[in-house]
Amino acid sequence: MKKLQISAFFAAVILFVLAACQEATETPNPVPVAEEKPLFAVPKNFPAPIYALDKKPITQDGFLLGKTLFYDGILSRDGSISCGECHRQDFAFTHHLHDLSHGIDNQIGLRNAPPLHNLAWGKSFMWDGGVFDLDLFSVAPIENPVEMHEKLGNVLEKLRKSPTYPALFKKAFGTEEISTERFLKSLSQFMLSLVSANSRYDKYIRKEGVMLSSTELAGLELFKQKCAACHAGELFTNDSFRNNGLPIFRERYQSVTKVVDGVKKTVLELVVDDGRMRITELLSDKNKFKVPSLRNIEHTQPYMHDGRFATLQEVLNHYSDGVADTQNLDPILKQNGRLGIALTDTEKTQIIAFLRSLTDVEYLSDKRFTP
Amino acid sequence: MKTSFLSSTLLALAITSLFIACNKEAEIGPNDTNTVVLEFENRVGTQPLVLGLTTYKNASNEDFNVTTFNYFISNIALKKDDGTVLKLTNQYFLIRTADAATSRVELKNVPAANYTEVSFMIGVDSTKSVSDVGQRIGVLDIASYTNDNMYWSWNSGYIFMKFEGTSPVVPLSTNGTRKFEMHVGGFGGMTSKVTNNLRTVTLALPSSATVRKKIAPEVHFFTDVAKIFSGTTTIKLAETNSIHSPSAAAPIVNNYVKMFTVDHVHNEKD
Repeated sequence: MKKLQISAFFAAVILFVLAACQEATETPNPVPVAEEKPLFAVPKNFPAPIYALDKKPITQDGFLLGKTLFYDGILSRDGSISCGECHRQDFAFTHHLHDLSHGIDNQIGLRNAPPLHNLAWGKSFMWDGGVFDLDLFSVAPIENPVEMHEKLGNVLEKLRKSPTYPALFKKAFGTEEISTERFLKSLSQFMLSLVSANSRYDKYIRKEGVMLSSTELAGLELFKQKCAACHAGELFTNDSFRNNGLPIFRERYQSVTKVVDGVKKTVLELVVDDGRMRITELLSDKNKFKVPSLRNIEHTQPYMHDGRFATLQEVLNHYSDGVADTQNLDPILKQNGRLGIALTDTEKTQIIAFLRSLTDVEYLSDKRFTP
Repeated sequence: MKTSFLSSTLLALAITSLFIACNKEAEIGPNDTNTVVLEFENRVGTQPLVLGLTTYKNASNEDFNVTTFNYFISNIALKKDDGTVLKLTNQYFLIRTADAATSRVELKNVPAANYTEVSFMIGVDSTKSVSDVGQRIGVLDIASYTNDNMYWSWNSGYIFMKFEGTSPVVPLSTNGTRKFEMHVGGFGGMTSKVTNNLRTVTLALPSSATVRKKIAPEVHFFTDVAKIFSGTTTIKLAETNSIHSPSAAAPIVNNYVKMFTVDHVHNEKD
């Protein structure tokens, strides 16, 4: 009796599955294919890009080559450090929970790894704006002794000898000849594709059917009044260099691996970071750093050029009560007889809520950018 | 009588044809061009510059030896005896003492003329310094330097002149050496107006460089590193031994602008 029941059960299952399969193939309405997002498009609420994409367009194969290079440790002296090491997509291409990053041989860098979105609109690159052309950017981390510590020429030689790269260059540029220009521009193509403009804030602003909560809307209004002078427009930065009153640690040391008397040792070195002055050598630029974009800020902690603040609450507490009158403090932070920006606890909560609406989940999970 | 008349005629003919031949050689055809070579001989005072262990003395009586001496030459112009100037565009040369072949700068297809003056820029001009990476080939290719770097990746720009060595007067560094390093750059900046260390040198030629269809002149320069230490400012290695930023390099630049002289010109028959 039992055997019969079991057989009958299985028979029923099989029949059911067959029937279901039959039904599926007879479905009149096919499942719609997701629209292929272009690798680069100017979002409707954004200004025109600065990078000359008309002269140097992004192609699918150029993008793929750039992405492969971005995630490849071959760019570093010992193969251990790729761009992706400090720039992780889940965290908007920053180095999660690292105030400063560790590069080759576990050496610590000078500054916090910035996010990589919307570089096509960048006027300059790095916290001190030392690089003004995205195509010339990649050589800096490659040759930095505490990051990848490799010579650009050596990277190109390694790529030429690799079993895979000549073919990838052929696909992207029509030739296996791996030149400096093609190498740098393919990395640019990948980086330029990292466009973040689909946060809840964006969809609200573009009237695409998203509403912000009343707290977030209050935060937006406060933001426009108190923050947008520097964190301006849809890019949330005007790319200017400002001193926002960060107290200068009297003694800030960091661990550095050096050769002392022919022996590799870890020593403590005093860190002096003059910011923009490092590039322009103008005293008026001392302590100034580039205003960062606040998009995806929920995921790019810790904050500031040296990653000193772990939370957005700490950032706003700094602006309300922590601003120090250091050399070249921005005049905006020294108004009405007080340092910083007056913010109540409620206002801070509202601003933080608004800042969270700048998270672009689609960007953070876009599989095209994943290795 | 007849013989002497014949001899005279032959002599006259010989002289005339010689004269015509010389004139032909001396002729400046409108489409004639040839190569002009600028030969840079690096020296310390009257001695040749030899990299490595050879010890020299500077104006402050400090001993030093040299391990690296490189410089970019660009924006070369040649002035003719009629006052007009021929500007040679988009030609950049990197003279590296370690590589003897780089001391010969070949300027091709120079129009036939008598040239009396040469000028050039020490370094890479600002237009090229902000140009697309595709415009940077040959000695401007930032991947071409490997262990003898001539480009600041962290502050986009070329190193115009690099002068390195050791001296017993340089304070001992944390890694036990007494090196001096002078890296001169600074094209004036992309957005901010910052130190511009680009300089143009203009030198009269002691005798004309006569470019002809069959004459390819060579202009022989001396580049005297001793002048880096004296000139507008006296540079003492005991105090000035690490220059890695444009503003710090300014006194060096004001000195080195005077380190070039033209020793002689050969008008080489081609």
